[in-house]
Amino acid sequence: MAGPLEFAPAIAALPFVSFVIALFFGRYMPKKGALAGITATAGSLLLAIWTYFTVMGNGEPHTEHLHTLVAVAEPFSLELGILIDQLSALMLLIVTLISFLVFVFSLGYMNDEGETGLPRYYAGLSLFSFSMLSFVMASNLFMAFMFFELVGLCSYLLIGFWFREDAPPSAAKKAFIVTRFGDYFFLIGVVGILATFGTSAFIGTGGTESFPALAEHALTGSADHVHTFGFDPQTWFTILALLVLGGVMGKSAQFPLHTWLPDAMEGPTPVSALIHAATMVAAGVYLVARMYGFYALSPTALAIIAFVGGFTALFAATMGVVKREIKQVLAYSTISQYGYMMLALGAGGYVAGVFHLTTHAVFKALLFLGAGAVIVAMHHDEDMWKMGGLKNELPVTYYTFLAGSLALAGIIPFSGFWSKDEVLYEALRLGLNDPVFMAAYAMGLIAVFFTGFYTFRMVFLTFHGEPRTNIAESPHQYGWNMKAPLVVLGALAVVVGLINMAPLAKLTGMDLTYLHHWFENGGELLTVEHYHHLLTEVSGVHHVENSTGLMLGSGALSLGLALAGVAVAHVLYNVPSPEEHTDKLGSIKTVLFNNYYQDEYQVWLAEGLTANVARAANTFDQGVIDGAVNGVSSVSLFAGERVRRIQTGVVTNYAALLTVGLVVLLVAMGLLGGWF
Amino acid sequence: MIAAKYYLLLSAAVFCIGLFGILTRRNALIFLMSIELMLNAANINLVAFSAQHGNLSGQVFSLFTMALAAAEVAVGIGIILVLYRNFDDVDVTTATSMRW
Repeated sequence: MAGPLEFAPAIAALPFVSFVIALFFGRYMPKKGALAGITATAGSLLLAIWTYFTVMGNGEPHTEHLHTLVAVAEPFSLELGILIDQLSALMLLIVTLISFLVFVFSLGYMNDEGETGLPRYYAGLSLFSFSMLSFVMASNLFMAFMFFELVGLCSYLLIGFWFREDAPPSAAKKAFIVTRFGDYFFLIGVVGILATFGTSAFIGTGGTESFPALAEHALTGSADHVHTFGFDPQTWFTILALLVLGGVMGKSAQFPLHTWLPDAMEGPTPVSALIHAATMVAAGVYLVARMYGFYALSPTALAIIAFVGGFTALFAATMGVVKREIKQVLAYSTISQYGYMMLALGAGGYVAGVFHLTTHAVFKALLFLGAGAVIVAMHHDEDMWKMGGLKNELPVTYYTFLAGSLALAGIIPFSGFWSKDEVLYEALRLGLNDPVFMAAYAMGLIAVFFTGFYTFRMVFLTFHGEPRTNIAESPHQYGWNMKAPLVVLGALAVVVGLINMAPLAKLTGMDLTYLHHWFENGGELLTVEHYHHLLTEVSGVHHVENSTGLMLGSGALSLGLALAGVAVAHVLYNVPSPEEHTDKLGSIKTVLFNNYYQDEYQVWLAEGLTANVARAANTFDQGVIDGAVNGVSSVSLFAGERVRRIQTGVVTNYAALLTVGLVVLLVAMGLLGGWF
Repeated sequence: MIAAKYYLLLSAAVFCIGLFGILTRRNALIFLMSIELMLNAANINLVAFSAQHGNLSGQVFSLFTMALAAAEVAVGIGIILVLYRNFDDVDVTTATSMRW
């Protein structure tokens, strides 16, 4: 098959080239590596668009084998390969688009602000784009894991970009360690899947089957080629699914591994937009979608995903209500929105989850870049209580930010409404049959109100009212390179929801669910119909009947709650000089402001519990294990110390020893041989 | 004909003299001479057994041994020369730098 899909590896390779250029030659270049990054990501974006339309044209997934790392057929081989199907083509488009815009935005945020160390910054961003795109294209779980780790590394490097200050290196370490904790389970899961199925491919090629397909066969009949280590296949697959989910929860910042994400805001704001809002944290959700054929086989895993997602959505939204810094509010809203995506995937809403992933990537990147613009305007002060009245001074930022906020709050017809409504609708349809999903749905629904409230608290505090400081009265102005990405994303945030307008389609009878149709094509085991078949036939998960009334009711309910949240924010904060109304919450605010003491208890777990266990293990290791080894070796040492004394260097001594040896030998042979 | 055992006794005596020289003397040149004695003790053995068996192979072997002894002396003299250059002496007990 010729054509653009042959160039698919270049989508990832271009940013890698730019990484090398920025790292080694960046300091000699006029924009310190920015131009290389912009060129590379623009090229990737064009290739991704081309790929997208090619996939749209022929509908078949494209697989390519690149390299074999370990070429043993039995029990399994480790390979690098490419899988381009509907899901990865869509994700490639999102990642390359946002990477490109973030590179352009960085010209204004980093270069124009006179930052130092820019080659390092652009090298990190390019390496991130490379890793993320390779992760998206990965054809098997093992390769996905490799690049999953690499994006974690890039996140660490970029959060700690301002390493001379105190907070960023600490936040970088926290992000790395917390996500590593989740990835540890992921690693065990990858090994488990390889040991169980002998393959970790997402799609079957040339006679070999993918591991979700093998799992399906094991559950529906013949379990010949599957080693479940003595467990019931259903139980064992649930264990594997939950192990992989550990990595997902770390990367996508789900409770209880969400604590790193708010701290990650110490990094430069474009980095927050690209990595900690739109793409890297999406890696977890993407992974679940990528191997949805496997997750769909385990009702227990699905219920856990949905419940954790719903809980995280509500939990993070409540914390976002009281924050003072604009980026902190966005960080908690990011955690909350990823909760929605997990809720959707857990509730069997594959399309809904990916849809929300798409719209969220656009509007949250927009909001972060808008926040970055505001921070530049405010001379790098992030405290919303020092802002106010910025809408007259920064009209472009205001209107684009408002578009993003309306999308985030889920107000019709902005993109977030369509996707969030579909997420909640899918959860409700399952919830009417199952109380666990009902609880997850209820938490997601309540979070809608909080989302509307904190989003517009942020908008009103930042842009409305009277300026509260001198800087806010005459903010720093900035150039086209920051406005252009905002305008592009602002326009997309308004319209991207149009790709899947399920309620409107139901109401008018028109065919408007384009995204749903998009996922009906593709590899025969990677389509939404197949996933639906797995859910209903194998897992026994049943949605209630798809009815117009239910859909509109659900939509109206979530829209009403969102509007209520916005209205409360309007009443409380859209005044010339707003007060901190959340102070009236008293001790509740203290708890929320301290993030439910999540950090404290995790530090306690690490220092109070794990450190002691580690210390005991160290003592055992030093005392018993090393003691035994050292004891054995001391015998040799002692003997060697004595025996080496015979090496006197005097040749006569050696001759004497030879003679004595010969005599002893002769005598011994004589005695044994019976000469005497 | 003299019995072979007398030759063997002679040979053993010559060998022991050579061995005694190696174990007690310190001069490297005496070492070479002692080694010659020991080699010739072996030659006596070879020739004695050759006469005993009425077979000339042993005598041929002793010729080889002599050639070998000449070669050994050539190498040995070389070593002694180097020894003298490095230690200003041909006393084998002074050259003790290769030890623990």
